[in-house]
Amino acid sequence: MPPPSRALLAQLSRAIGRESAQNEFRWMQHALAHPPNGIRPPVKTIEEMVARRVRGEPLQYILVRTATLTATRFRTALTPVPPGSQPFGPLHLLVRPPVLIPRPETEEWALRLADTVNPEASPGRPLKILDLCTGTGCIPLLLCHALPPGSVRAIGVDISEDAVQLAEENARLCGFSGSEGRSQEDKTAEAEKRNSFTPVLADLMHPAFVQRAGLKPPYDVITSNPPYIPKDQYDRLPSSVKDYEDVRALLGDPEGTASPPLVPETERQKGLSFYYRIAELVRHHGLLRPQGTLALEVGDGQAADVAEILERDAHVRDISVWKDLWNKDRVVLARP
Amino acid sequence: MFRSISTLPALRQARPSRHFHACRVVLAQAQRQAGSTSSAQDAPIVQYVKRKVEERRRLQSELSEDALSEEDIRRVRKIRELEPLQEAWAEWNRARQSLEETLPLLNDPDPTMRSMAEEDYAALSENMNNLVENTFPALLVPPSHTGHLSAIIELRAGVGGSESALFVADLVRMYTRAAQSMGWDVNLVSSNILETGGMKDAIMEVKGKGVYDALRWESGVHRVQRVPATEASGRVHTSTVSVMVLPLAEEAESNSSDDDIIKMDEIKLEVMRSRGAGGQHVNKTESAVRLTHIPTGITVSMQDERSQHQNRRRAFQVLRARLMDRKLNQEMLDRRDMRRSLVRSADRSEKIRTYNYAQDRVTDHRLGMSLKNLTSVMDGDGLQDFIRALQQRHHDEILEEVLAQQ
Repeated sequence: MPPPSRALLAQLSRAIGRESAQNEFRWMQHALAHPPNGIRPPVKTIEEMVARRVRGEPLQYILVRTATLTATRFRTALTPVPPGSQPFGPLHLLVRPPVLIPRPETEEWALRLADTVNPEASPGRPLKILDLCTGTGCIPLLLCHALPPGSVRAIGVDISEDAVQLAEENARLCGFSGSEGRSQEDKTAEAEKRNSFTPVLADLMHPAFVQRAGLKPPYDVITSNPPYIPKDQYDRLPSSVKDYEDVRALLGDPEGTASPPLVPETERQKGLSFYYRIAELVRHHGLLRPQGTLALEVGDGQAADVAEILERDAHVRDISVWKDLWNKDRVVLARP
Repeated sequence: MFRSISTLPALRQARPSRHFHACRVVLAQAQRQAGSTSSAQDAPIVQYVKRKVEERRRLQSELSEDALSEEDIRRVRKIRELEPLQEAWAEWNRARQSLEETLPLLNDPDPTMRSMAEEDYAALSENMNNLVENTFPALLVPPSHTGHLSAIIELRAGVGGSESALFVADLVRMYTRAAQSMGWDVNLVSSNILETGGMKDAIMEVKGKGVYDALRWESGVHRVQRVPATEASGRVHTSTVSVMVLPLAEEAESNSSDDDIIKMDEIKLEVMRSRGAGGQHVNKTESAVRLTHIPTGITVSMQDERSQHQNRRRAFQVLRARLMDRKLNQEMLDRRDMRRSLVRSADRSEKIRTYNYAQDRVTDHRLGMSLKNLTSVMDGDGLQDFIRALQQRHHDEILEEVLAQQ
């Protein structure tokens, strides 16, 4: 390895640890040497990449793989900051600050869920999937990819405009864009043969959420990776998370929410607000079909609490918990 | 056992035709003697074909009127199987007969007659040679049952520390170039790069038809003798790299769960580093996985890709290749009629090739064959000569084994 690279690698090692540095350095070099679709990354040199990484910026935001930004595919204006990318299952998704970068835990359970969802469960009509706090759209897009064409109509809700825009770009990139941007003929002719995903801008906590989001319950599958980090833990997060990713995607007890206090006094500040809200929505708005599946990602140590919330407030049964590869309880699943 | 040496010049010319050495000599002699052609007929392969043709004739005579019994069905199948050989034999006989008729004309007083006869003789001999060297062997050697497989090449630095690691990188380059010029798809799947510039180990994927059959003879220990780049005193060092070539099936085939070589409940998948609270709390890329195949204890670690899913796929691919390799080797060992020489290829610790930089020479110890111009080997071109020769050797050994049967 030529000397300048060796110095850069050493610098990176000091910042993120030797083993990670080896891999990340290699990925940086690879991104520079193989720009996909012939589009060069916005960061031109390895020095710049290392400098940004050393400052704490997540690698995923630094690396670039852009979709073909031709006028026909993107009606929205090009964003000033070119998107980076993240492999997610068999997909490659655009990522962009401050939208939450998909985690390997989420990748694992989304793949597992795709295997367990039965597209035949609703013969003659597509499965309706609702993803709350959709972010990049990774979960519903993976389901669209894994399930037979034409068997899925997915919708993803997020409070952030950045997220909704990014999720739409990902939908187009993966070939699952919903009705937006397509002509009337396209809609009817093609709609049946493709799975589709439509991101929607809405605030889950708002009392009129269901109407505002234009939801049409019931859904066969409801998924969510809602913000679940308690405030005290949030304050102690590493800089690469706290200073670069949207607080609204992480903080489990958002301040000043519009909804009446759902969360009992004793349970506040445990990062569980969104689970209370989701349980309420399922209970009072018939969001979930009787034979449907509810799958919620949870934070470290929250599985028991979330299971109890669902059982008590959402009146669901058949509750099970999936562990992740690091042996942590990571997903709570339930049936009504 | 050094029959190969005498075929060296022929190999370097990269002639497409195959050589059945013993037979060539015999035929050449027949040509010179211009006398009896009986020695040509004594060639083992010719004798064998003749026996098979006689066997076919015998089966035909044993066939009953309506050919309905189990025995008969078996006979009919065998008769049909041997038909191409019968046709080739008939052609050989016709050529031999014409050759005998031409012989006296070689001594004809008329020069025009003589020269015509010489031309005919040459053409007929060529035809007979072709039958003996190409057509007969092709009909007798069964098609490879691994011919459709691609390959995974695993390289590991051996004796020699960082110099050995540098040679791993050199071999990766060599195989990459050779694969590309043979029109194959080649990818570096995983590598452990040292700060000193070499690779502690590497895994390559080479995809294409016949890739495994071509590259399988690269398995073994490769030895390099040269002055290391880091060596101040200019002393020559000897280092080794061990190479393992494993069979790789198309992913589509290998996913069929019916006879999949991997059963999911025999697999243990682990991550390699802790993630603390994990989930939303952490955005550092953590994609390393380790796959363990419990029944055999084989483990595959993979961390070169950026997602768990991608590394898992790669790890399964490598595991599948290692298991298939074991299976093929076991099949070879189980066949008690298999010659020792074919089984020996399973011994991975055998030193198969020496790359001597000082003498600009690469020697393959199995063939006893050396190539000058080490650069051409490292560039991939010279390597193809070795590959061809090794495939030919394997082919010849199988043929000998076939002929040894009754």
